[in-house]
Amino acid sequence: MSDDAPRSEPSGTASGRRLPGRGLAKGLAVTLRTMTRRSVTDQYPDALPELPPRSRGVIGLFEENCTVCMLCARECPDWCIYIDSHKETVPATTPGGRERSRNVLDRFAIDFALCMYCGICIEVCPFDALFWSPEFEYAEEDILDLTHERDRLREWMWTVPVPPALDPAGEEPKEVAAARKAAERPDPPEQPGTEPGRPGGRGPRREGEA
Amino acid sequence: MNARSRNETAPVHLGMPGHGPEAPRLGPLARLAPEPLKVVLNWGRRYSLWVFNFGLACCAIEFIAASMARHDFIRLGVIPFAPGPRQADLMVVSGTVTDKMAPAVRRLYEQMPDPKYVISFGACSNCGGPYWDSYSVTKGVDQIVPVDVYVPGCPPRPEALLQGILKLQEKIARESLGERYAGRPASPAGAPGAASASALTSGLVRGPATPGEEAGR
Repeated sequence: MSDDAPRSEPSGTASGRRLPGRGLAKGLAVTLRTMTRRSVTDQYPDALPELPPRSRGVIGLFEENCTVCMLCARECPDWCIYIDSHKETVPATTPGGRERSRNVLDRFAIDFALCMYCGICIEVCPFDALFWSPEFEYAEEDILDLTHERDRLREWMWTVPVPPALDPAGEEPKEVAAARKAAERPDPPEQPGTEPGRPGGRGPRREGEA
Repeated sequence: MNARSRNETAPVHLGMPGHGPEAPRLGPLARLAPEPLKVVLNWGRRYSLWVFNFGLACCAIEFIAASMARHDFIRLGVIPFAPGPRQADLMVVSGTVTDKMAPAVRRLYEQMPDPKYVISFGACSNCGGPYWDSYSVTKGVDQIVPVDVYVPGCPPRPEALLQGILKLQEKIARESLGERYAGRPASPAGAPGAASASALTSGLVRGPATPGEEAGR
């Protein structure tokens, strides 16, 4: 409401009659102040946002690490991961040895319409084949296009950022602690029949162990 | 209204505008409109979208964040918070659509005047999302209304909504209104049931392709 009608007795104000247009002047002052202030708008299509280091955008697959254990598909709460595979035999490396069999990945698809970005698949993967990527620009016009196959998931791998450095004041990670203890442990005494100079030698055959 | 009076036995009135004889009709000239006219009209339509926010759940918060100062979709021409569906062009369904809410979504969609667009924002409105197994969730708002753009995420970033709006604008830029409403017959042909069935299925998600068609996919 503008103070257009001047009042005869302003209550509480020491100055005289109120000038008409006071409200309008106050409003214009607010506009001028806001206009001259720097705007906080991120100009999205022209400038991409600064995303935090572990931001969860989309899931990328590093196929070389995948052994098709299917843990991710099993643990996904939405059942949005589709995996197809077959087994191939690898000939024995030594004469008279057993043939090994390995899984070969045929199809790895994630339905991003269903995906709820919980990250359980990434946490559960024992071989570090899945990674978070901060990509978020993949809206589609057809919902069937939101199921992305291996090639697209691989493309997203190249946008996965380097993991941020650990907090220097934090607790030492368990892997580092275990490695440090193993290095500090004195070598066990050598057993007869093993090659000399082989640390912790156990038996003649060591292949097949992790 | 003319069609209605022509019929001796009036078709069953479903109470939903947009079906049957009152379906929006475009004359045959719409497809023959000259290209510059289409370009101008599409330009006007895509840069002045009044958005009706059907905010249901967490995605509504991201939608509101996209409308505020930091990500501001008014820069793209999308004017926030139309007073109601009757003054809106674009409906953004953000959040879980429950079976109880579904008729309301349909009703408000019908109240929007043509041409209208729908963006499905977030996993729940795309296909049920985390609640895909629930007894009371509609698994995807495209079961009720035809959707133009799906924005994935749980919830998607506000910038993802901006990208979805850009994608919708690109879609509008290359659309022809004559083809968009081609599915709806100008007059009830044959049984009234046939007209309303085609009106019901126009623009909705098409079913999965048969194995013969999938060879090229």
